[in-house]
Amino acid sequence: MTMQRIKPHLPWITLLVLTAVVGVVDPNFLRPANLLSLAGDIVPLFIMALGLTFAIYIGGIDLSVQSMANMITVIASIYLASLGAWVAVLCIAAGFGLGMLSGFLTTRLFVPSFISTLAVGGVCFSVAQWLSGNRALNMDAEQRNATFGWMIGHTGIVPNELFLAAALLALCLFIERRTVLGRVLKAVGAGEPAAKASGINVGRYKMLAFAISGALAAIAGLLFSVKLSGGAPTIANGFLLPAIVAVLVGGTPLTGGVGGVLNTLIGTLIVAVIRASMLYLGIEATQQQMLFGLVLIAAIALTIDRSKLRTVK
Amino acid sequence: MKLTRENVIRWAPALVLLGLVVLFAAINPAFLSQRNLARIALASTPAMMVALGVTFIIVMGSIDLSMEGVVSLCAVLFCLLFLRLGGSLGAGAWLAIPAILLCGAFFGWLTGMVHVRLQIPSFMASLAMGFVGTGAAVLVTGGDIVRIEDDVFRALLTWRILGFPLMVYIAAALVLLAWFIQNHTTLGRNFYAVGGGEELAHASGVNVRRVRLAGFALAGVFYAIAAIFQVARLGQAESVTGANLMFVAITSVVVGGVALWGGIGGVLNAVVGVLIVNVIGNGMVVIGLPNYLQDGLLGVLVIIAVVLSTDRRLVSFAK
Repeated sequence: MTMQRIKPHLPWITLLVLTAVVGVVDPNFLRPANLLSLAGDIVPLFIMALGLTFAIYIGGIDLSVQSMANMITVIASIYLASLGAWVAVLCIAAGFGLGMLSGFLTTRLFVPSFISTLAVGGVCFSVAQWLSGNRALNMDAEQRNATFGWMIGHTGIVPNELFLAAALLALCLFIERRTVLGRVLKAVGAGEPAAKASGINVGRYKMLAFAISGALAAIAGLLFSVKLSGGAPTIANGFLLPAIVAVLVGGTPLTGGVGGVLNTLIGTLIVAVIRASMLYLGIEATQQQMLFGLVLIAAIALTIDRSKLRTVK
Repeated sequence: MKLTRENVIRWAPALVLLGLVVLFAAINPAFLSQRNLARIALASTPAMMVALGVTFIIVMGSIDLSMEGVVSLCAVLFCLLFLRLGGSLGAGAWLAIPAILLCGAFFGWLTGMVHVRLQIPSFMASLAMGFVGTGAAVLVTGGDIVRIEDDVFRALLTWRILGFPLMVYIAAALVLLAWFIQNHTTLGRNFYAVGGGEELAHASGVNVRRVRLAGFALAGVFYAIAAIFQVARLGQAESVTGANLMFVAITSVVVGGVALWGGIGGVLNAVVGVLIVNVIGNGMVVIGLPNYLQDGLLGVLVIIAVVLSTDRRLVSFAK
């Protein structure tokens, strides 16, 4: 077995080993109820990472996902009262539209995606501050329960968030495996000039990839604000790093082309286990950012396809 | 002078700055008052240092997104070391200054190593190292605020010459130093060689890896200076001392006319860019606009600047 052949299997092996190690240290960790509640807690992050996968899959990046989620928590908190369930449509449309804008800037105006999404993130932050007046907002608890209570309840011992996550995963998997869009995104990730040369309208599909990323970041923000019953312009800060880590640890490299949404599922679970294990092993939440930064570097170094980078800038 | 694309790009930032100053002064003459100008200069100082550092890296065609973490970490370490060494600039605590500059250089070099040795694109290598820096700052402080109340050190802020704080003059001197490094040292020329075409630079005998490492280390020194200025300005350090500097600094450098593709623009562009960004921030408050519009406006500006500086004949796609 060469490294080349083991590589695609590394993510789930890592997940199993980590889970086993934590399980040995604390057998309580492996109780189904504990695992399910852990999984339920990570769902907003998973949804965000799911969207981010599309941006990374084509060799780009979306640094606006965190600001997007921040803005959506504010929008959801404000307009729940007047729009009811329709606020979900507003949130997703806003995410889709702004993602589309990032995609437009990247594909049509040749602004590298890390700058275009950073800029769109700045716009999101301004909108969030403007709408909220820079305060933390609360949702009306009764109305939240009536409209979105189904998102955060339990069915048996299974948190309802997991059903939402499963539905979105299935949708993304369908897009990736069974649609023209999915095939084109793979072609773009594998080699953009070749995809273009074979007559594909690459720009339009790349824009859609960024739009999906924005829309899913919006759903993540919506779910997060429903969970917390409120919103604020910086409430989701701290999501960006673990979301990028989840995608890359799962095995979708920064250079795109391989991996996909199932990998992100595994990557998110790895993040969840690392987080939980650090608490079990007595490492506090404040110390985790440094560790995740190092994990990120290791994950990129292991997965990146250097043959695609003529010069590394 | 002919009205070519190159000339427009070269002079646009300076004209934009001039236009903004005239606009704000026309709406509210208090904008040009000596006190307000001092306020703008003071607010610009830390961002200016960060912008100078990242300019060298952007000129090389790379990018550095680690400044928030590096500035936070350096600020926190500086305060702790300063207090450990006696808490007064006269009593040996001055040693904290060279120590923290070395620390910044080391962290920058480390980012460079991650980028060059592990062959990771610089935007991601530096983003990850920025997270590591912020995480380390949290770790060192445990989330607390560290204060410095030394009168001699705070003279950077409190000692005013012609109305401007001392640190503004030091910052001006450092701008000259950066300009000197860029135009009159081998290293400075090599940044342009690498930015203009890495393979060509390599073929003509430039050790590209070493130049990149030196660039990141040099940027780290400037981030450390920014950290010291932040501490002098605020009198304290915590793990969010560097917050928002990344967006402001990158925007400034790009808006000032340094091309993201490398090889074009330099220190003077960064200076104009920082002034544009801070004049906008200050001017919006002076004419009574809410300052939360600032990030959105900067986002729009940076897009316009990148689009204007992109030669569409040479670029076939962007990642």
